Amino acid sequence: MSPAETERHHRFLRSFTAHEPAIRAHVRRLVPARADADDVMQEISVVLWEKFDSFRDGADFKAWAFGVARFEVLAWLRDRGRDRLVLDEEVITKIAEETTADEPRLEQQREALEHCMKKVPGYQRELLMQAYQPESRIQEVAQGSGRTVAGFYQWLHRMRKLLLECIRRALTQEVAS
Amino acid sequence: MSTKLIEAYLDGTITAPEMQQLNALLLADPNARREFAEELNVDSALAAMAAGWTKDEAPVVRQTKWRTSSPRWIAAAASVALLLGGWWWQDSQSAFATVEKAAGVVEMADGSSLRAESHEIKAGSVALITAHGARIVIEAPAEFRFESAQRLHMKRGRLAADVPPAAKGFTVITPTGDAVDLGTRFGVDVPSSGAAEVHVFQGEVIAKASGANAKQSLRTGDAVTFDQGANTVRELRSSAFIQADEMSELTAGLAAGQRARAESALAKLKNDPALITLLDFESTDELPGVYRRVQGRWPGSHAPEFVNVGDHLKLDVGGDHDWPKLTLAAWVRLDRLGAPYQSLLHTDGWDSSNPGQAHWMVTHHATMRLALRANTLVPGSGEQYEADSLTPVLPEQGRWVHLASVYDSQARTVRFYLNGRFDKEVRFEVAHPARLGPAQIGNWNRDDRKLSGRVDELLLLGRAMSDDEIRALHAAGNPYR
Repeated sequence: MSPAETERHHRFLRSFTAHEPAIRAHVRRLVPARADADDVMQEISVVLWEKFDSFRDGADFKAWAFGVARFEVLAWLRDRGRDRLVLDEEVITKIAEETTADEPRLEQQREALEHCMKKVPGYQRELLMQAYQPESRIQEVAQGSGRTVAGFYQWLHRMRKLLLECIRRALTQEVAS
Repeated sequence: MSTKLIEAYLDGTITAPEMQQLNALLLADPNARREFAEELNVDSALAAMAAGWTKDEAPVVRQTKWRTSSPRWIAAAASVALLLGGWWWQDSQSAFATVEKAAGVVEMADGSSLRAESHEIKAGSVALITAHGARIVIEAPAEFRFESAQRLHMKRGRLAADVPPAAKGFTVITPTGDAVDLGTRFGVDVPSSGAAEVHVFQGEVIAKASGANAKQSLRTGDAVTFDQGANTVRELRSSAFIQADEMSELTAGLAAGQRARAESALAKLKNDPALITLLDFESTDELPGVYRRVQGRWPGSHAPEFVNVGDHLKLDVGGDHDWPKLTLAAWVRLDRLGAPYQSLLHTDGWDSSNPGQAHWMVTHHATMRLALRANTLVPGSGEQYEADSLTPVLPEQGRWVHLASVYDSQARTVRFYLNGRFDKEVRFEVAHPARLGPAQIGNWNRDDRKLSGRVDELLLLGRAMSDDEIRALHAAGNPYR
């Protein structure tokens, strides 16, 4: 590889790794399951690199990547989401547009999670982290916590709700102070 | 209404009509879209946090696999890395590997970064994760260094690797040969003296002995020794390697103070008036025989390991008189073999003039057997011809297990125990007092009885231990939590 190409790889990698969590979160908001987001992310990383030539230096990498991501999600839905229950294309387009505009706030929310997790009792925090492990089996985690699968899902909803409330509160206070 | 729909969507239990409702609702209502996006946003933040999460307290939920993985972006970036040829990854990441968990290792701390420097660990085991996401457990005594995140030099020590697709091509370099992984689980043993071995638990590995021209592809269940410039096929040692899932239980055992409990239980046993022998293999005088001295159940402790046919350890105890009652117990870590018998204790004097001579072994069904010369079983008791335990005593994956047999010639019974739990009683019609004397562990001179694995804390006691005593013996010596 020529030095210029090497330099280009480095630039790509720096941008991609810096924005990967945001791109993944963006994808996650559009597909039914976390595993689907993993699937689509694989494709996106390849496409972003292939198209990196068309990315103008100094432009907003994240916004550009969000655009590519939305396109890839729609392609994935047509391809593999056909016999699944998924969001309509129109809904996806709306959510993608709105959340791209709203990304600074959504990013603050993601960052505030750490603060709010500290308020969750240790045992429950651990259970949450287990449930969210890559490849975790909800049935096993549910069993280990002494709940039925349905009961465990209910608990997860409640925890997410509490966390979201805490996050919103934390961000309002931040603005106020 | 919208809450229920979103919940069902997230659980994957939503029905087609409900999905229609949800789509209609989201299309029409900007507030519902915002609520929806925020809940999914928290969901992905939780997933990102869980991917980098390390469990640092004793497990609250038992049996939970302690699993940490690198942030997902490493895997994603690594897949791009493969696309680009991989070489530049090294200079973009300064650490080749990170210590996930150190169990009884004083030279390394959890979370420390490993680069190109050499490392030596004298005791314990350490779990590492490379920058490409390969998970590696190295057992002491070991000397090693990373050349890159994908190349590890092992001068000595024992390693088990679990290599995800992103780290395909991960290579272990030993003094006598290399192992290149093609996305799989495998083990490499580099003994202090002797040739290195490669064992493939799952997937495919390319093995190449130093100086050899030919590479060899090894598949699931294959194993080779790098023997003077060539690969020699050998039997898989399924339990020789500590794997990542065992590490968490060992760490928890140490944290719970099991080692001290085991030591105080041993001290008590040594004062038991009926004690015949208690081998903990910690004394510096080595017992005669052919075997490797490796790590026992505790960091830095010792145990004999039997690797090749003919490996054995000799002892001569309890030959001065007969034993109407006899308890035999040991901690073992054995491979599952096709071979007919693995010898736990075979007395030399086994012949018709010596009724009661004891042979204790694991059969090819992986059950435990206590044979006493000239004893006969109660007819119609369901036994074939020997007293065997009911439950297989060897796990599929390597683990320390506690085996015990309690013989009582007066009651004419033998009782078998696995990990402290009573398994089965077998009744004899004719029961001679047990006889010991010169004996071997790991083999039997007259006919090879190959044992493959480690033996730790072998107890011979001239009385019958009760169920409660056996349970306590296991509980005190258990390295796991």
